[in-house]
Amino acid sequence: MKKRERKAVESVQLEMTPMIDVVFQLLIFFLVTLKQDDIWSHLDVARPAADSAAKPEEKVDLLEIIVYNEHKLGGEGFSLRGNQVRLSDLTSHLKRVASFSKNVSVIIKCTGDSRHANLVKLLDVCAEAGLKNLSVFSL
Amino acid sequence: MKRKLEDPTLDMTPMIDVVFQLIIFFVVTVTMSKELNRDIKLEQGPHGPEIGSEQDSRTFEIEVDKRGWISTRNVQLTKGRLEEILQSRYNKYGSFPVLIRGDFRTEHRDIRAVMDICTKVGLWKVSFVAIKVKATS
Repeated sequence: MKKRERKAVESVQLEMTPMIDVVFQLLIFFLVTLKQDDIWSHLDVARPAADSAAKPEEKVDLLEIIVYNEHKLGGEGFSLRGNQVRLSDLTSHLKRVASFSKNVSVIIKCTGDSRHANLVKLLDVCAEAGLKNLSVFSL
Repeated sequence: MKRKLEDPTLDMTPMIDVVFQLIIFFVVTVTMSKELNRDIKLEQGPHGPEIGSEQDSRTFEIEVDKRGWISTRNVQLTKGRLEEILQSRYNKYGSFPVLIRGDFRTEHRDIRAVMDICTKVGLWKVSFVAIKVKATS
């Protein structure tokens, strides 16, 4: 009598193997599907008021860069004082400017068909140089 | 003798508990990460300040994909609707930070449309999101 009872209790025990299989399957699934996120940075700009277009003329230290679509006009998509410039040249130029004064206003004018990538690249270069006074105009 | 053999068997209950905890954890975190529009590919911007966890909780994120479609938290918006949302937030909290997640292929005129709406509402400062460190995987 006692012996039979004990046998019944033993047969109820669960098999471990399939459960471990399932746990490993789950682990592998999540390891594969979980995509690590990038770390993001933010690049701050000021937007000029619509009626203050004439305002920047009061300031002396002013740098104007035009961002255009490089697929249509060639170059790398940046132009300084009417000349197409390479991003690397622009970087060294902005660094030189920033070494004199960090308060130089940089006015970025973007054409409507320019790619957002160019604007972000330029803003990143300005951030690298340490220039903080950036405003974006749209042409 | 029989007792000794029975002793080493494992109790299943805590293991099942742990498995359920894991499943619930992953289900919750996976749905949260879907709040971003995964189609948007950002440009590199390693020199900008990092967007950390100390971010202002009022920050409003606007997504602009390569076709110029506007969305926030993966919910697509029209320009009119975006303006309504920004205006009501502005009336409630005053000025708040705006982050624009623009795809690198987006044309500037689509970004401009979003910036113009921000300006119209009274938000002069906007920030663009870029990739500081690309994920290894």
